[in-house]
Amino acid sequence: MDLVDLIAEKRFVGQEFLTWLWWKSEERGGSIALDGAGSMNSFSGDITVVFEKHVLLEYGEGESSEKCICSGLQSELKEARTGLVMGKKLEQARIQLGHNDYEWNFTLAAALMEFRNIKLPKTAASQEGGSGPEEQEGLILERIFLFEELIRMVQTLFRMFLEIRVSPGWKDELVKVRQWVHVRGQMTDDRV
Amino acid sequence: MGFLNGSASCVRFSVEGDLPENFWDFAAERIMAFSFKDIDETYDEFSVGWVSVQNMFDTDFKFASYASGDYITLSLRIDERKVAPAILKKFTQKEEERIKKEKQIPKIGRTMKIEIRERVQTELMKKAAPVPAVYDLCWNLSESTLLCFTTNKKAHALLEDLFKETFGLLIVQQIPYFMAEHLLDADDQQRLAVISPDIFV
Repeated sequence: MDLVDLIAEKRFVGQEFLTWLWWKSEERGGSIALDGAGSMNSFSGDITVVFEKHVLLEYGEGESSEKCICSGLQSELKEARTGLVMGKKLEQARIQLGHNDYEWNFTLAAALMEFRNIKLPKTAASQEGGSGPEEQEGLILERIFLFEELIRMVQTLFRMFLEIRVSPGWKDELVKVRQWVHVRGQMTDDRV
Repeated sequence: MGFLNGSASCVRFSVEGDLPENFWDFAAERIMAFSFKDIDETYDEFSVGWVSVQNMFDTDFKFASYASGDYITLSLRIDERKVAPAILKKFTQKEEERIKKEKQIPKIGRTMKIEIRERVQTELMKKAAPVPAVYDLCWNLSESTLLCFTTNKKAHALLEDLFKETFGLLIVQQIPYFMAEHLLDADDQQRLAVISPDIFV
């Protein structure tokens, strides 16, 4: 299959992942236990995942597709939750991801798995700086580590989604996600 | 804003193919061969090549400055002479008016109009300063992955071409479906290939 066709046909994989991740992040109040033991490039431990500020939803395909952007500093993303009830799926979301004392902020564009406007955690080295070649190489390696750490965490979350998505357990998982969509949608309606 | 400071956007690629023996010697030679060539003093319209991530004017890479541990960090620099459409239109019309007056003719034929437009464009292009664009990349040699610090599709296409020319290796953007192939076992991959979109309400 041509790459362009494949991207179009499989864009739902990334969008379903991001929608699932929103549910997963709220299932235990923002905390997700990652179990990547034994897998290459995976990550183990508890992380926090918070959806914030900005969400873009998509519905339909090609010329008949609809897009809806919801953003706001203190917003609870009410319109976005209503959009989910209408059957829209997440295409982009601004996410805060925390592990130990480190915090990453980034926008994940789901269909192509693009990481946009990544804000890396502040570290001692990044604040002190240094102009020598050794300090520069240290700074480069630290930044590489922080970018790769973020991608490792997202990859581990993606693997968790994929494993359940292709398994018979997906039916039960989907029931839970649908319940969450309806409950959240109703809460939004009640407040209006 | 890019890889070294501030916020950054990135896309992940996989690097397909094996590295040659004596890789670092090979890399040193190839990176120099495809380093960026300045076109400020020429009339060339376009130039693409490698520069240092720390300095877009550094094409010498002293002490293999692209090597950081098990990574190669480089910047793709693209310089391009461009003429804004409005400027081209203005000078084309100006030249047409001049010719009409000079030759005492009321109208200019289609073929001549095209000729004038092309001549004006070439002249303007020579005067235009090349516009630079720099995109960083970080190649993880042990995992055969590459982070490209832009989501610009045109830059991705140029990177794919220059990377192949330089290192003889293909890079493939890791869209979720391709990423899944690296994360799942063979059975799960087959299941993934046949699933269709689900409705979440």
